[in-house]
Amino acid sequence: MSLLSVAGVTKRFGGVVANRAVSFDVAPGELVGVIGPNGAGKSTLFEIITGFYRPDAGEVRLDGARLTGLAPDVICRRGIARTFQKLRPFQGLTVLDNVMVGALTRTRDVRHARARARELVGTVGLADKAQAHARTLSTGQRKRLELARALATEPRILLLDEVTGGVDQRTIPDLVRLVRELHAGGLTLLVIEHNMRVITAVAQRIVALHLGEVIADGPPDAVARDPRVVEAYLGRAYVP
Amino acid sequence: MRALAPAVFFGCAALATVVVRDAFFLDSVVLILIWGTAAAAWNVAGGYAGQISLGHSAFFGIGAYAAALVVTGWDASPWLGLGLGALIAMAIGLVIGYLSNRLRGPYFVLATIAFSQVLLIVGSRWRGFTAGSEGIPVPFRPGFWTLGIADKRVWVWILLGLALLAYLVGLYLERARRGYQLVAVREDEDAALSLGVPARWLKVAAICVSAALTAACGALWAQYVGFVDPFYVFSVDLSIRFALAAIIGGLGTALGPFLGAALVTTVETFLRAQFGGIGGELVGIYLIVYGCALIVMVRWVPQGLVGWVRERLARGALGRAAP
Repeated sequence: MSLLSVAGVTKRFGGVVANRAVSFDVAPGELVGVIGPNGAGKSTLFEIITGFYRPDAGEVRLDGARLTGLAPDVICRRGIARTFQKLRPFQGLTVLDNVMVGALTRTRDVRHARARARELVGTVGLADKAQAHARTLSTGQRKRLELARALATEPRILLLDEVTGGVDQRTIPDLVRLVRELHAGGLTLLVIEHNMRVITAVAQRIVALHLGEVIADGPPDAVARDPRVVEAYLGRAYVP
Repeated sequence: MRALAPAVFFGCAALATVVVRDAFFLDSVVLILIWGTAAAAWNVAGGYAGQISLGHSAFFGIGAYAAALVVTGWDASPWLGLGLGALIAMAIGLVIGYLSNRLRGPYFVLATIAFSQVLLIVGSRWRGFTAGSEGIPVPFRPGFWTLGIADKRVWVWILLGLALLAYLVGLYLERARRGYQLVAVREDEDAALSLGVPARWLKVAAICVSAALTAACGALWAQYVGFVDPFYVFSVDLSIRFALAAIIGGLGTALGPFLGAALVTTVETFLRAQFGGIGGELVGIYLIVYGCALIVMVRWVPQGLVGWVRERLARGALGRAAP
C-alpha cells in the first residue's frame, strides 16, 4: 500500500507542458528522490502535490484519499508538509515563533506549541538561535528553520525542495545527516535534489523527470546509469 | 513592564475623570480614546493581518450614520444604532475580506479607498435616506440610554470601555494561537498556507472584527459630537488618521495605536491652537506635520514607538546579562 500516490498528473502553462502524465508512488517509510535538469517539472510537481497548483489532469492521493482540489492548508492538515526552493521564512518573527506557527496547526495550546517548537529547534540544531529573527539567519540556517517549521505540522510525508541548493560545501554534510536522521526516525520523505552525489547517497529510490515526463524510476545507481537520464543531463554524446 | 505601560495609559484616562474639571482637557481625553480605539481596530486588519486599508472611514461612517439615523428615523436608542452599524460593517467587512483574497498589496489599498468614496457619494447624494450633503444633526435627549450626555467625564468612561475592548482584542492577537497564525499570514501567506494556517478565512475574520470595532467608534463619535457630516466621516483623511496612529504607535502591537493616537491628537490640538483661529494662515499645518511624521516613522522607526521601546529594553537586558 502506498502512502503517496501520484497518478497521471498533467499540468500545462499556456503551450508549455510542465508535467505530462506523471505517475509514481511513495511507500510508507521510504525516502524517494526526484531529479531532473532545470525545467524538468520537479517544482511544479511539488506545487501540485501540496495544492498550490491544480493539475489539468490526474490526481494525487494520500493513503488512498484524494487530495486534488483541496486547498494547501487543508492538505497540510491531512499530513503533507513541504519546504520551499526559494526559502520563505517569516522574516519578522523569531526562529521559535516561526516553528510555533507550524506546531499550532496540531495543538490549540500555545504553551504546548512553544514547548514542541523548542524541541524541534533543537532537533535541527538551531537552539542557540531560537530568539533570533529569521531575517538574520544564513541560508543554511534558514533551510534548517524551514525543516523544523514543516516538521512541527507533524507530517506523514515531508516534501523537501532542494535541501542543499545554495548552501556552502561545508554545511551540506550536516544537512544530509539531518535528513538521514529524520528518515531513520520513521519519516517518509520525497526530496528534490540537484546534487547527484547527495541524492544517490540518501535516496532508496529515484524518480527522474525530463521535460515534464518520468523517464526513470528505480534504485539510485540504476537510475544514475540509465541512458535516458544521462542523455537528459549531458546530451546524447555522453551516452555509452 | 509589559503590563505597566497599558495600566498607566488607561489609568491616566480614568484618573482624568476624577481630577480634571477643565472641559477642553476632558475633550482631548475623549478624542484620544476615540481615535486610539479606531486605530486599534484598524490595527487588527492592517497591523496583525497585514491588510493595509485606507478606506476604514467607510466603517466609521457606517457606524456614525447608523447611530444617527436610528435616532432621527426610528426614534430608537443610539445603542441600537451602534449594534446595527457594527453588524452592517461586519457584513461589508465580508465583502472587503473577499477582495483581500483576490487583490494583494497596492490593489487592495486602492479598492478600500474606492469603497469609502462610493459610500461618500451615497451619503452625500441619497438625500431621502441620509439628508444628503448637509449632514445630520443628532438630537440631544438627556440620558444614558439616549446618549444625551453633557458631562464629558461620563463620555470618558464609556469610551474607556470600548477602548479596553479593542485593547483586549489586540492582546488576544499578541498571545493566542489565532494571533500567531494571523501574523504568519501577514509575513508570507503562501508559507502560512503550507503550514496548515487557514489564511483566507483568518483574513476575512480579522477584517470583520476590525470593521465592527471601527463602526462602534463611529457611532459613539456621532453621539458625542452631535453631528454627522458625510464629507468628514467618509473622508480619506480619517482613514489616514487611523492608519497613521497605528503606524506611529507600532503595527501589530496592542498598546501602540493608543500611544500613536495620543501623540497625533495632542500635536494636532496644539498646532490648531497655535496656528488656527479666525484669520489664521496656518490652519492646515497639522496636515503637513502628519505627512512629515509618517515619512520619518516609516523611514527610521518602522517598528513604531512600542517596537522601538521594546528593542531598547531587549538590548538593555542583553547588556546586563553579558559580563
